[in-house]
Amino acid sequence: MNFEEVDQGTHVVLAPEGKFNLVAAPPLKSRIDDLVAEGRARLIVDLHAVDFIDSSGLGALIGGLKTARQQGGDLRIAAAGAQVKAVLKLTNLDRILAPYETVEEAARDW
Amino acid sequence: MTGEDVSGRKEYVLEGFAVPEQLDAVHTLLAEAAADHPELDPIDVMLFETAVIEIANNVVEYGRPEGEVRWKFTIRVRPEEIEAELDDTGQTFTPSHGQGMPGEDAEGGRGLPLAEAVLDKIEFNRLADTNHWLMVRRLGQASQI
Repeated sequence: MNFEEVDQGTHVVLAPEGKFNLVAAPPLKSRIDDLVAEGRARLIVDLHAVDFIDSSGLGALIGGLKTARQQGGDLRIAAAGAQVKAVLKLTNLDRILAPYETVEEAARDW
Repeated sequence: MTGEDVSGRKEYVLEGFAVPEQLDAVHTLLAEAAADHPELDPIDVMLFETAVIEIANNVVEYGRPEGEVRWKFTIRVRPEEIEAELDDTGQTFTPSHGQGMPGEDAEGGRGLPLAEAVLDKIEFNRLADTNHWLMVRRLGQASQI
């Protein structure tokens, strides 16, 4: 799986596509780590093109969230589909990874 | 590949190696079963797929010898439930059922709890030199999620 990356100045938007699973999660997490190391700790993961997430994908998001917050930033998710929302709820992660409806909404105070 | 069970219902079967590249084939198998059964609630299908993939992930990640484990999925759709059987040739192990969902900041350990949360039955047995998983979701309770 590839992911798009758009630098919006105040934050960076990463947009994975398709299955966000144990194949796709490590490269995205690695990119998040690199961005945070470069001082880009305000990140939005745009999930509009993700039709399926597994626990590896969740792990990458949680890991990215922790990494970003440790550097004073944050990781927000936007445009999650039904399966992603259901999995977030079932794993109780919707409290710390509350999905924003749109990327614009996620970036509003940045 | 498809066949029929003892009651004449269609079975959906996938055989191959338990490697990451084959996970898409598992998704495709479930999609094929769902397409043949438009009466299935999409939420039931979605949650069942979530569970089956988590168990498949476990085999891919932890099955040894790595890259040499073979698996066989069989999907059956019945009026009251959807069932998946998974046999794999990986080493024996003891799954840690009933551990509950890990804390919010854990980066792993959610696979089996997630599968358990959406399945009504999940069984693991070691039969001869094969690991055998049985996963069942009863239909018609999708509104609980």
